[in-house]
Amino acid sequence: MTHRFLSQADLKALIAELVAAKTRVIAPVRAKDDPEQLDYLPIQSLEEATFGARIPRRSLKEFFLPTTEILLSYHQTKEGVTIKEVPTEHPPQVLFSATPCDAAGLDVVDKVMNWDYKDELWNGRRKAATIVSFLCSSMDATCFCTAVGLGPDSSRGSDVLLVPVEGGYLATILTEKGEALLQGKGKAEVPAAVQAAADAAQSEARKKVEANLATIPADFSEWLAKNFDHPLWKTISLRCHGCGACASICPTCHCFDIVDEHNSSSDGVRRRNWDSCQTSKFTLHASGHNPRGSQNERFRQRVEHKFSIYPTKFGDILCTGCGRCARVCPGGMDLPTLIGELMTLAKAEPAESKL
Amino acid sequence: MKELQDLARKLLTEGTVQVVIGYEEGPRTARPAFITDPEKAGNLIFDKRCVQNLASYLNPRRKQIVSLGKAAVVVKGCDARAVAGLLRENQILRENIVIIAVRCGGVLTDPESNAELTTETTSARCGNCDVREPKLFDYLIGELPPAPPVNPKRAEQIAALEKMTAAERWAFWSQELSRCIRCHACREACPMCFCVQCTAEKSTPLWIDPSATPRANRAWQTMRVLHQAGRCVDCLECERACPEHIPLGLLARYIADSVEKRFDYKTCDDPSVVAPMGIYRTDDDEEFIR
Repeated sequence: MTHRFLSQADLKALIAELVAAKTRVIAPVRAKDDPEQLDYLPIQSLEEATFGARIPRRSLKEFFLPTTEILLSYHQTKEGVTIKEVPTEHPPQVLFSATPCDAAGLDVVDKVMNWDYKDELWNGRRKAATIVSFLCSSMDATCFCTAVGLGPDSSRGSDVLLVPVEGGYLATILTEKGEALLQGKGKAEVPAAVQAAADAAQSEARKKVEANLATIPADFSEWLAKNFDHPLWKTISLRCHGCGACASICPTCHCFDIVDEHNSSSDGVRRRNWDSCQTSKFTLHASGHNPRGSQNERFRQRVEHKFSIYPTKFGDILCTGCGRCARVCPGGMDLPTLIGELMTLAKAEPAESKL
Repeated sequence: MKELQDLARKLLTEGTVQVVIGYEEGPRTARPAFITDPEKAGNLIFDKRCVQNLASYLNPRRKQIVSLGKAAVVVKGCDARAVAGLLRENQILRENIVIIAVRCGGVLTDPESNAELTTETTSARCGNCDVREPKLFDYLIGELPPAPPVNPKRAEQIAALEKMTAAERWAFWSQELSRCIRCHACREACPMCFCVQCTAEKSTPLWIDPSATPRANRAWQTMRVLHQAGRCVDCLECERACPEHIPLGLLARYIADSVEKRFDYKTCDDPSVVAPMGIYRTDDDEEFIR
């Protein structure tokens, strides 16, 4: 792990250089429909971007798992069917000023994308992307990254972590990709005062978010698994509409549906589309039976998958504490508050009493 | 507030209803509440932050709520229009619900701000509201507050749309709808989208491609808004639910205005008034059928 000091001019030059080399550069940009909000969008120069002001509305997920993507196209003739698969190699892209929660989300989802089946499209895009995250100081009352073991200064999933300091940025280089991106850029010597200022900024950011929710204990996943039939599931999600807006903006929700769409009687495409366990159709059987028959079961699934099933299987909570689900929910469901309540309950009723 | 809490307590204690669907203080702002215990009736609130249309929770397919028993629901005038819609379309029986209507002085676009109601902060749907004192109720409570300031944004948007040529409007909506990710959150949050099977999910035959492509997005949102013609109550739940911030309420309002012009009909909170889609009249303007 090495450090470099980048001035604003260095960063500007770096982005200009990447754009000139036809690398797609993504960064938070003021939303057209609401200038107070940010969206991750392609940029041509540093001036278009707004670093670190607030957490963008949507996560980075769509740059790796697009809302909809073609997996293959088919053409049918009298002789048979010809299939054309899509390329799995992707052009390089650099994502600047990713929030540490979004960068970490990619690393968490890597596990399921490389489990029984290696997802070539996800992996291809991951391989071609360099993630430059930015110390988060824009947390609000819904943020809880520290509760899930991350933090506003977490370097997980990042190739470079930038911390704003006087006159520029302290860049911590975390991977070979990060090294390649910043080779020869800025200054290799980092003054002790700059390093100290960056350390102080990181520790202050961490304190701010730690106040929102206590760290989730390791045995919480076991408690959830053993309390699958707890009466609380009958009341906890009554206000949930099952609209799935939370899943759409979630950096770690990764479920998809695969459909064939015909363009004509002989041609068509197979697509992969985002899906969500919060809608009733997700588990609807062809027979008409639905094992998750009401929103109570569907919301329980969301919590169990994120905080019990995924941690048991992959050792990671499937949540980065970004708080977007709470911000977007039209029904006023608030995951950090609910997790806090569940943790209190878990303390009061230990899992052992259930089995 | 006390009037509301006392009424809820009485209805629950006497066993008239088993649940009161209202509003309570949430972590950052008001949120929907499901009060089953008379002791908790004191949690109920009503103010300018109570934006949700609770009629969505009366959908008979919401098993988890139906299972709680007979419900009383707190409604603003705009929400009462949705309850009337559900009654008109035979989704619920009048005797199975208790309607607690509140006189309303307008709500905020952003309830978390808890700002004063101004021409900027008031919800677009409150402009020229004609149901601040609902007529559909079992209990009507509260004093009638002064009318809220009118947020001119929606009227300006409608005027701008009307000025456009058909090609320009097509371009405008194509651009807006290109962001749609086909999550259908708009439908799930909508009190008037209650179909057991949505056309968007019919696969034999496939009416609308399920993928978020420009063509399919347009088809989906056009289909949805046309099914809402004369039914949409302008509560903006669709717009609040949309994770892509598409102005779906504007689209619905535009259609509602067209229905009003053509059929002299506005959604109202009187369930006995038949909607244009539910009636045949020989004096209908049918110049569009050629």
